[in-house]
Amino acid sequence: MTHVSVTVDDGHLAALDGVVQGLRARGMQVDQVLDGLGIITGSVPSGTLGALTGVAGVASVDEQLGVQLPAPESPVQ
Amino acid sequence: MIDPRRPGIPGEVRHGAVGPLPRTTGRQVVVLAGTGDDARVDWGRVGVHQVADSRDFAEGDVPPEALQDAEATVFSALGIAVVSADPGQVSRLQTAEAAGRPVLSVSPELVHHVLDRLDDGRPDGSATGYTAGYRDGVADLAGRLLAGGGAGAAPPPAAPARFEDTAQSTWGVQAVRADSSGRSGRGIRVAVLDTGFDAGHPDFAGRAVTARSFVAGEDAQDGHGHGTHCIGTACGPRTPSTGPRYGVAHEAEIYAGKVLGTDGSGTDAGILAGINWAVTSRCPVISMSLGADVMQAHPPYSAAGRRALQQGSLVIAAAGNNADRRAGDFGFVGAPANSVEIMAVGALDQALEMAWFSARSLPARGGQVDVAAPGFEVYSAWPMPTRYNTISGTSMATPHVAGLAALWAEATGRRGLELWATLLQESERIPQPAVDAGSGLAVAPQ
Repeated sequence: MTHVSVTVDDGHLAALDGVVQGLRARGMQVDQVLDGLGIITGSVPSGTLGALTGVAGVASVDEQLGVQLPAPESPVQ
Repeated sequence: MIDPRRPGIPGEVRHGAVGPLPRTTGRQVVVLAGTGDDARVDWGRVGVHQVADSRDFAEGDVPPEALQDAEATVFSALGIAVVSADPGQVSRLQTAEAAGRPVLSVSPELVHHVLDRLDDGRPDGSATGYTAGYRDGVADLAGRLLAGGGAGAAPPPAAPARFEDTAQSTWGVQAVRADSSGRSGRGIRVAVLDTGFDAGHPDFAGRAVTARSFVAGEDAQDGHGHGTHCIGTACGPRTPSTGPRYGVAHEAEIYAGKVLGTDGSGTDAGILAGINWAVTSRCPVISMSLGADVMQAHPPYSAAGRRALQQGSLVIAAAGNNADRRAGDFGFVGAPANSVEIMAVGALDQALEMAWFSARSLPARGGQVDVAAPGFEVYSAWPMPTRYNTISGTSMATPHVAGLAALWAEATGRRGLELWATLLQESERIPQPAVDAGSGLAVAPQ
């Protein structure tokens, strides 16, 4: 599975439900719909991320980044 | 401003600054309290009768002849008037008994000149302006070097540390002038998206804290320390029960969003959920001391930063610690700070020089360091029972700026891009490269 963040374009911010339906139809498991930001997060089977870009209202599909802080005892954080 | 109790003489300028007196015209430049219809002034009361108003001319274009003939010319769009009268006469508009709109200031009109040429000057070879100054400077330097004995001269001493922690406050609180600011962040919600918060920390007893976890299987309690440290810097108390002051916005409302787990790791999903929560909760300031070492701006963070700004929330993020300046490696600004729509913060040491780990701007759009703040050996809160810890990082610089943003938000009422512009405009310029420190040291409103 690949974890993705889908950014919705400005024209579809008021119609997020339709975008969510389109993403599900293309195989995305939707975890969160962040209506304040117009971003939808979830996961897709590996290698199928590109299929989501064809959904109407999708501005970009990006694999999620990870963040890692140093250990608490590290002098530089 | 001219003191109405001390009427001046037309053409005379009193000032204490060293330097040549500027030439004046004898006219006064009056700044009115309002513009347009709000700029109506009872000129007749101070003996000024011929008044030209820019609105009486096509497109507000006042011809020079009108300026010469009228006793007063009012530029309505600016709320400024040029008046032929002595300053004492005009200053009566500022007195308490003045009818109509008040006047904010009265200043002598100055004569301005085209600035001196910077090129090589005259055909006859004689030097002018800049060139003459340069020649004189070189001659002076050469003279002093020759007189000083050359090789035996001592090297200039290293710059001394300009700030240090005292019993009253940390060096960072002093450097950003939070200790002398009358602002506290009262009424401003500051979201810190990090490893959570130690709700049992005694320095925050009685404070308004809203905590939420966006990490599956963990509550909002800080199991790492980083989050409590950052919240301490942004929002710690003015007078902790023990030790120095370490917090900037000591009366801000704290929104502690846990987006990084106890192991210090997190993903876009939790971080974006935290931003969404902070924006929906109407937090004007969102502090994110986190990042990934990727050069490309990440589109979801760009969209999130832009839409946050549109809703009055400013996202402030750490530039990153991927430099090692001691080894000549300047690093680069990572995500999310390298998005155009997210403010990137670099770290300064006690001499207000770049900390060795502080990342440098990327050439790509959005990859700039926007501003800098104390981020070296920063003392702040830590989960109990440790209570306090001193650590370094652009992670520590970021909440200094977040706290300052809360002070400016309180002081000006500005939000979003206006708040961003205010922080940068008001920052203190320092002799560090713009690629490292952006607009310089962020400072508090005084």
